[in-house]
Amino acid sequence: MLIAEGLVPRPEILATWRPGLGRAGLSGACPDGGDPMLAASGLVKRYGTRPALDGFDLTVAPGEIAGLIGPNGAGKTTFVEIVSGLVRPDAGTVLVGGLDALRSGRAVRRLTGVAPQELALYQTVTVQENLRLFGGLAGLHGRTLDAAISRVLDELALGPVAGKRTAELSGGQRRRVQAATAMVGSPPLLLLDEPTAGADPQTRSALLAAVRARAAAGTAVLYTTHYLPELTELNATLALVRAGRVITRGTQQELTGHRRSLDDLYRSLTVPAPEEDSDAVA
Amino acid sequence: MLSRNPSSAGSGLAVLIRHNLLLMRREPGPLLSRLILPVAFLTLLRPLYLAAWRGGATGSQQAVTATLVTFSLLALSISGSAILTERLGRTWDRLRATSLSPPSILAGKAIPAYAVLLGQQAFIIGFAIACFALRVPHPALLLAVLLTWSCTLLCLGALLGVLVRSVGALSASCDIGGMLLSSMGGALVPLAVLPHWVRVVAPASPGYWVARALRSAFAGDAHGVLLGCLVLASVAVTCGTIASMRLRGSGGRLAAL
Repeated sequence: MLIAEGLVPRPEILATWRPGLGRAGLSGACPDGGDPMLAASGLVKRYGTRPALDGFDLTVAPGEIAGLIGPNGAGKTTFVEIVSGLVRPDAGTVLVGGLDALRSGRAVRRLTGVAPQELALYQTVTVQENLRLFGGLAGLHGRTLDAAISRVLDELALGPVAGKRTAELSGGQRRRVQAATAMVGSPPLLLLDEPTAGADPQTRSALLAAVRARAAAGTAVLYTTHYLPELTELNATLALVRAGRVITRGTQQELTGHRRSLDDLYRSLTVPAPEEDSDAVA
Repeated sequence: MLSRNPSSAGSGLAVLIRHNLLLMRREPGPLLSRLILPVAFLTLLRPLYLAAWRGGATGSQQAVTATLVTFSLLALSISGSAILTERLGRTWDRLRATSLSPPSILAGKAIPAYAVLLGQQAFIIGFAIACFALRVPHPALLLAVLLTWSCTLLCLGALLGVLVRSVGALSASCDIGGMLLSSMGGALVPLAVLPHWVRVVAPASPGYWVARALRSAFAGDAHGVLLGCLVLASVAVTCGTIASMRLRGSGGRLAAL
């Protein structure tokens, strides 16, 4: 059913692997014993003398939504940029689908769909044309591309504005288009960096539903946000980041133990250090 | 280990070229002005050149050379804005995060811009042939100059697109720089009638070398064409290398500059 709907990572992307099937060859392990889609280990990145990442470790399994939370400047976006291939770490390793992201960058980028924190769309062309570009660059063409565009437009409730130029859209609609450009190629790893920042409830609801559907179909999702209720709604596992490293990792139930709220947990663990809470290094 | 059946690099490049042509079609104003202004300029100023050269073919060739060099330099903004708008819109990083290789991304931007630059020059030459009976006795030599000069313009524009921080800065750089390089290179007004100091500094301008190569092409001087093309090609390689080095890393981001 889900395959018919085209939500699972495309077979041509996963030539030797499908979610829930053969995972041989992947290195690292998830808490459930499976092989991770994303495995980062010992990542260090410095901007000048200031460390943005300082021994960052994280694994994300296929079908998992990993919520990456932490104060501004904790290193979340730097991590996303490293996995996206935009920034090179000073030390450490990143494996995506078992491929070394630092040595096989192009192959890894084929496996990832990225929606960066800042809106980055072509303003003078239509929503459909933006999707056609990113779908085409993900290797889709012809009817397959048309079907993928149609699907993602429905998924994110963008059908009515498909023919509009991006510049004419509201902020919330642009947010959805940005996420759609990451999803249109059905990559097995989605990197969504604050995808609902400044979004209206309708946008938030459509986005969360789309993310849940993708994860249910086997896509690994790395989701950074400052809106903690979203993570509860997504039933995401949590990785709390502070000062460039993951300080706590687990399911919401494991971390809160039903005794306190996610918000309380976050506040108790992320009292800003002097070097944090600054946008200088996101 | 995950692997995928990769679509060919050529297919990704074709997608990007098609997209960049679409971007140009959606904002046709700059392109139209770069086509209409030179033919208007050529039509209005040709009588002056004819008078200065006492009529005949040379006057038309000088008018075409002046128009082509001046307005093709002003068209630097076409290749510059192709890069700058990606940086301003943060879409450069979106492209870098796809599986396209850096050379493919650059080629995807460069090929449509190159076609436009070459098309502009071909349009000016074609207009002069059709309307003013411009004689082109050695079309192969002329084509060599146009191909090389378009490449130089592309790389100069790309470098500007990487270095400036706003559309206004790009526009000012292209307008002022284009006029300076053109006039100081002796393209607009022959060097013989310009002050001595301009004649001394003229070879530093690519405008000088393209004007010289164009005049050589009209005269059938293959050696002059070769020399001009070599200098222009070296300018292109230098500018293109610097621009691509800046774009490969985080230099493609406005925030990093």
